Amino acid sequence: MRILSVGKCLLFASAMVLALSVVPGSASAQGTVRIGVTLRMLIENGFKYGQMTADELNEVNKSGGINGQKIEVILLDDECKPDKGVANANRFIHQNKVHLIIGSTCSSVTLPLVDIVTKEEVPEIVPHSTNSSITQKGSAWVFRTSVSERYYAAVHAKYLAENAGKKVAYLFTNDGAAISFVRDYKKYMQETYNVEPAYEAQMQETDLDFRAHLLKIKSLNPDVLAIGGQIDAIARIAQQSYEIGIPAKVRRVSASAASNAPVPELAGDAVKGLIFAAAFSCTDEREIAKKFVKMVQEKYKVRCPDHDFSQAYETAQIVKLALSKAKLKLTDASLAEDRKAIRDALASIQNYQGLASGPINFCADPTPQCRDGNRTGILVEYTKGGKDYEMRVLARVGFDPDFGLPKK
Amino acid sequence: MKDTSTPTGGTAQQGVPAGSRFSRRHLPWLAGFVALLLLPWATPNAYHHYILNIILINVILAVGLNIVKGFAGQVTVGHIALAAVGAYASAVFAAKFGLPFWVALPAATLFTGMIGALVGIPSFRLEGAYLALATLGLAESVRVFIGVTDYIGAAIGFSDIPPPYFFGRSVVDHVAYYYIVMPLALVGIYFSFCILRSDIGRSFKALREDPLAAAACGVNVRKYKLLAFTISALYAGCAGSLQAHMAPGFLHPNSYTITEMVTLLLMVVLGGLGHIWGGVVGAVIVTIIYDLTRDYYQYQMAIFGTVIVLTVLYMPRGIGGLIDNYFATRRFVAIRKAKANAA
Amino acid sequence: MLLEVKALSKRFGGLVAVNNVDLVIREGEVRGIIGPNGSGKSTLFNLISGVYQAEPGGQIVFAGEDIAALQPHEIARRGVARTFQLLRIFTQMTVLENLLIGYHPHIVYSSAVAAIGAAKVWAEERRLRDEMMELLGYVGLTEYAEMPAGELSIGQRRLLALGRAMAMRPKLLMLDEPAAGLSPVNVDKLLTTVLELKKRFGLTVIVIEHILKVVMESCETVTVLEHGEKIAEGAPAAIKNDHRVIEAYLGKEMDDAEVRAFLKAS
Ligand SMILES: Nc1ncnc2c1ncn2[C@@H]1O[C@H](COP(=O)(O)OP(=O)(O)OP(=O)(O)O)[C@@H](O)[C@H]1O
Ligand SMILES: [Mg+2]
Repeated sequence: MRILSVGKCLLFASAMVLALSVVPGSASAQGTVRIGVTLRMLIENGFKYGQMTADELNEVNKSGGINGQKIEVILLDDECKPDKGVANANRFIHQNKVHLIIGSTCSSVTLPLVDIVTKEEVPEIVPHSTNSSITQKGSAWVFRTSVSERYYAAVHAKYLAENAGKKVAYLFTNDGAAISFVRDYKKYMQETYNVEPAYEAQMQETDLDFRAHLLKIKSLNPDVLAIGGQIDAIARIAQQSYEIGIPAKVRRVSASAASNAPVPELAGDAVKGLIFAAAFSCTDEREIAKKFVKMVQEKYKVRCPDHDFSQAYETAQIVKLALSKAKLKLTDASLAEDRKAIRDALASIQNYQGLASGPINFCADPTPQCRDGNRTGILVEYTKGGKDYEMRVLARVGFDPDFGLPKK
Repeated sequence: MKDTSTPTGGTAQQGVPAGSRFSRRHLPWLAGFVALLLLPWATPNAYHHYILNIILINVILAVGLNIVKGFAGQVTVGHIALAAVGAYASAVFAAKFGLPFWVALPAATLFTGMIGALVGIPSFRLEGAYLALATLGLAESVRVFIGVTDYIGAAIGFSDIPPPYFFGRSVVDHVAYYYIVMPLALVGIYFSFCILRSDIGRSFKALREDPLAAAACGVNVRKYKLLAFTISALYAGCAGSLQAHMAPGFLHPNSYTITEMVTLLLMVVLGGLGHIWGGVVGAVIVTIIYDLTRDYYQYQMAIFGTVIVLTVLYMPRGIGGLIDNYFATRRFVAIRKAKANAA
Repeated sequence: MLLEVKALSKRFGGLVAVNNVDLVIREGEVRGIIGPNGSGKSTLFNLISGVYQAEPGGQIVFAGEDIAALQPHEIARRGVARTFQLLRIFTQMTVLENLLIGYHPHIVYSSAVAAIGAAKVWAEERRLRDEMMELLGYVGLTEYAEMPAGELSIGQRRLLALGRAMAMRPKLLMLDEPAAGLSPVNVDKLLTTVLELKKRFGLTVIVIEHILKVVMESCETVTVLEHGEKIAEGAPAAIKNDHRVIEAYLGKEMDDAEVRAFLKAS
């Protein structure tokens, strides 16, 4: 009988130590602001969102940095998986010793990140996630530039209830954003008009055929078809709703994922008339928006940048603004102090006029009123599908800071 | 053919006194334990403590998978779903029923073991790719179930799972958590050694290679298949529970997809399917490589794909197999030499 | 009677592989089974060892118990060991491990005790290894103990298969063509080994063999199968001269003189 040797065991343990010490140690160059960016990047334009964020921040290094301080960006992918996002955050905080974290795309990643940055006292600014609870955890370290679901829900709900009707059929997939889209819409209709859903069905994100449900919906003759899902599901449901003959007069409204370019490309003409709430539209006529769209078209080869582009851009601008306001020492010893200074600088940003349809306001309280900076949604409607899709801004809707919060 | 008239005794240890046998068997474990106790001091920062925890949790997962896949030869793709079962069960026990971690962990482990036995039932009739498909179906249905069940957070995620409490103090620190994960992982490895070096392990290997011949030797094939599935599920359940209670105490079905399963398989294949060290070596190496390549996320999948293909092509028995070959060759050469000298 | 088989049949689709066979084996007997290729010999073994389910109506009584409905491993645990025509040794396990698997039915410790690595498990394992090394000595594979069984030659594999069956400490040992592919010298050695083992452990042996010399020299009674039916049974000497047997075995085209010459040579 062979007996496990002491040598083997020790060998193994020391191999583990060795391997770990190969992992790059903390390369904390003094005098640099380190920013960790974690986003979902291995999707359609995901990489470009990350790249743009990094480019916008790194740009200041060309002109000698902000207040003479350079920026170092560490960009990682989290694949929309909480465990990956958590690993990235741990790495940013303990290994890279970052001063600020930007992230993430999916709410299910951002939610655990909030807990981590709160415990470790690192400021985080959320560029894309929309889930309402992100800013309701009472963290003093979290800021959001994306429009919260609590506003989104009402943007279309209010508009449609007043302009289309109150008989709504809901068809959605088991995706986090889709679920809260439907939940919030339903809640608004119940609380404001005391109206129950005409029909409601949940499917899998991977399902291909939604026709059985759509046929039932057709027979109910609703005013509005609410579609929740990620890119593929939205495109499929929109397409199949016309295939089985739900008439065009039934308004189709969808979760904000509809703003992603593949939706009109996949759905073709079926996307015509589809409404969604967004933070930005590439058809925005304002000068600042036109300039931005042109820049993205040239630099990132995207014809019509969606609101994830604009929010990534805006987040980078706000970070730069905050950095210019913060007094940073940027030594190893001042890490905690600098993180706090950046947090406070972010909290002091008021009335920032950027790509968002309204001003962005932060304040010091760890409340959603203070930390959901962007309170203006727009309602966008597709007017043409296919590769060269077109759309228009239906309406701009701004909200009170308190709107959509649970009443005390 | 060899001369049959001269029976000889064992080749290995003869005349080892009983007392020193005990210490010889347990000393390496003690030494390993002490080395692992000190390990956090050898690592530069808290991120490494975090990675250590991830490595050890993956070790538990991979050791479990190696038992059912490597030793018993049951092609299962459901292991990651069992980890999800363990994680969510533990989360429910702790966050919903208010049980402390020290109760939730064993309860979730046992619960997952029972689910594992259920997952093993298709293996009575199915083999190879068909069994893989059946377990894949089960695994996906677990994920889908989680994704639509509001009680456990559905697609939003299960948050605020309480950390372990130790004498009234919460264990959220990565180093502190390490001292919970590490002993469990070590005990898990120790159990797997004991199991695989005993008659149970032999029976697993026999039914992997030839169920009919194993049955002819008196091995209850069904019982041992179930046993393999159950044991591996216990490992998955324990690992899942450890994932659940690790800071920030958040679970999401996206962490239990087929990609994670493939990564687990890679660990076992690279470490050596059916090698006693296979799961351990594979989990350590893959987790570290994964972490090192995090910066090159664009190429990560390509890197891992290449590693799998190269391993299967050039190192079908994994790193464990390479080590075995090395020792086997040495032993064989030694026997040859001894024979030549005797002649 | 150690084994009593009554009206045993097995059909594969339209083919009747074993047809209404009766067989009675006394304790301590060495029984030979011969018959042309495809006559149902191996199928008979598979029925007795539970690999195949017999057609209803058949009966297999082993040591006073009807085992016809039992699972293979249950039959093995009652003391029926067998080798396979195609050996089916565990090629990825070591030679010693192959024997240890044979010993599986007699393992005394429980799974739970094994999992915690109790001292008694290791003591038992050590004792077992010594015991199996001794058995390995009997079949002459001592120095290959730690070698993967897949690296053995065919002849050595046959010996290992025999050893594995012996490790089960069976009451009844069923050997399916144990001498096939062995050189004449080794056939002799195998014969001596089997007979020695039988004497030492008080075994009952059923052996299927095409090499008539083996059957003639070692068996007290020989059963002859053809097309799944028992066509003759008796002492080797009597069987040797049975015309039906000669016809069945060697074909009708041979004349008597040729047959005699053949039998003499073998
Ligand atoms: N699993 C099976 N399915 C179908 N037919 C089978 C099966 N097993 C055996 N047979 C058929 O049963 C008949 C008897 O086969 P068996 O293997 O018992 O012959 P045998 O007497 O052992 O021959 P040999 O001397 O060649 O080993 C053959 O015609 C064979 O084709
Ligand atoms: Mg045969």
